[in-house]
Amino acid sequence: MVDITDTLDVKGEVCPYPDVKSKRKVKKMKSGDVLKILVDYPLSAERIPETMKSLGHEVISIDKVGDADWVILVKIK
Amino acid sequence: MLIGLFSLKLSEVKKMVDIVTVVIPGLIVGILFGFILQRGRFCMNSAFRDIILLKEYKLAKGVALALGVEMIGFSILILGGIVTANPKPFTVLGSILGGLIFGIGMVLASGCASGTSYRVGEGMTGSFVALLGLGIGAYTTKSGVMSWASSSLKTTIADPITSGGLRIAGDATPIIMLIIGIAVICVFVYFHLIPYLKERKEKNEAILDFSDMTTKIFKTAYPWWISGLAIAILNCAAWISSAAGGRNYPLGITAGWLGWLQWSVTGLDSALNWLVFMVAGLVLGSLIAAIISKEFKLRIPKEGKTLLLQFLGGLLMGFGAVTAGGCNIGNLLSGIPMGSVGSIMTGIFIVLGCWLMAYLLFMRGEE
Repeated sequence: MVDITDTLDVKGEVCPYPDVKSKRKVKKMKSGDVLKILVDYPLSAERIPETMKSLGHEVISIDKVGDADWVILVKIK
Repeated sequence: MLIGLFSLKLSEVKKMVDIVTVVIPGLIVGILFGFILQRGRFCMNSAFRDIILLKEYKLAKGVALALGVEMIGFSILILGGIVTANPKPFTVLGSILGGLIFGIGMVLASGCASGTSYRVGEGMTGSFVALLGLGIGAYTTKSGVMSWASSSLKTTIADPITSGGLRIAGDATPIIMLIIGIAVICVFVYFHLIPYLKERKEKNEAILDFSDMTTKIFKTAYPWWISGLAIAILNCAAWISSAAGGRNYPLGITAGWLGWLQWSVTGLDSALNWLVFMVAGLVLGSLIAAIISKEFKLRIPKEGKTLLLQFLGGLLMGFGAVTAGGCNIGNLLSGIPMGSVGSIMTGIFIVLGCWLMAYLLFMRGEE
């Protein structure tokens, strides 16, 4: 089990808010921290992991936990 | 609510509106369009905005591919005499300012006219609010309190040029469009399709994999080129279907919602054309796609401010679309492949307006 440093809840938000908010959030976090992102917007659920990878962070997991409900874990580089 | 409104309507208008050429074909094309938009996450606001915001080009490439294929399809339809070219007029200030305001509005609304419409089917209540704004903005600009603004932009400046329906090369436009379209396809095949097929071959995957098609069509998101191709082919079919229903133009969005409002306010059945049923079908198609892929959920933005911004964005989009004579679908997706100068200008300024607002809203102050 991974230790989660912080949780970002962007449910209910339309793109690009989930993408932009998660980008802003990881910028403030330290190396080795793990961020849990809760998102219910499909396009963002597909995009956020890609954006995180391109920023060099490690995407630990993407889980679909319900109808239009995803949990993304990101480890900050 | 939409479905309820529709079933009520159907019984009332049976006598006035042709079900075989208008209602059913409009609905079918709409359902397919909504389905592809939802599965392809095909939103032009995301496409243009993310070029500068996330340096992400997939959706933008999808739009470019769709335009290229449409250039070929539309030219064949026009040259083959199946439809007559019907380019939107170039009203200079109307086309430019309308496009710019539309582009600004779609960033605030978090979706273009088509993106907002399909998200309503996904259960995004913020997009529903934006859509109400779009309808009200379009109606007040078309025949209400704001009509002075759009009509003054349309007449005074455009008169000396009298360029209604101006195309880039007059009657030779379809030939030019055909050539550009073929060039786009060549670029696509050379830079995407061939490398893609090579990669599949190296991985020892079948070139064409038809296994598990149900999952591919109903469950997983479409890659950009599949949605681009599908939308282009659908728009060619849509033009034929729409023309047969008495409306000689490919897909549009804003005028469809405008038609609904006009009909509900005035009660005139003349407002109910092919496009009105197409947009109703669009929401239905997106709803079906979202339910099947388990992506439907009623979602509310956490901050009230977001809803207000989305409504304001919708109003601006409605104003811009009527002033420019079309939204991102009527002008950008359907007008550009026809070679309409007005649509090309509007398209450019929709992108510029989108970038301007995306910069102000999301990028200013960050490195």
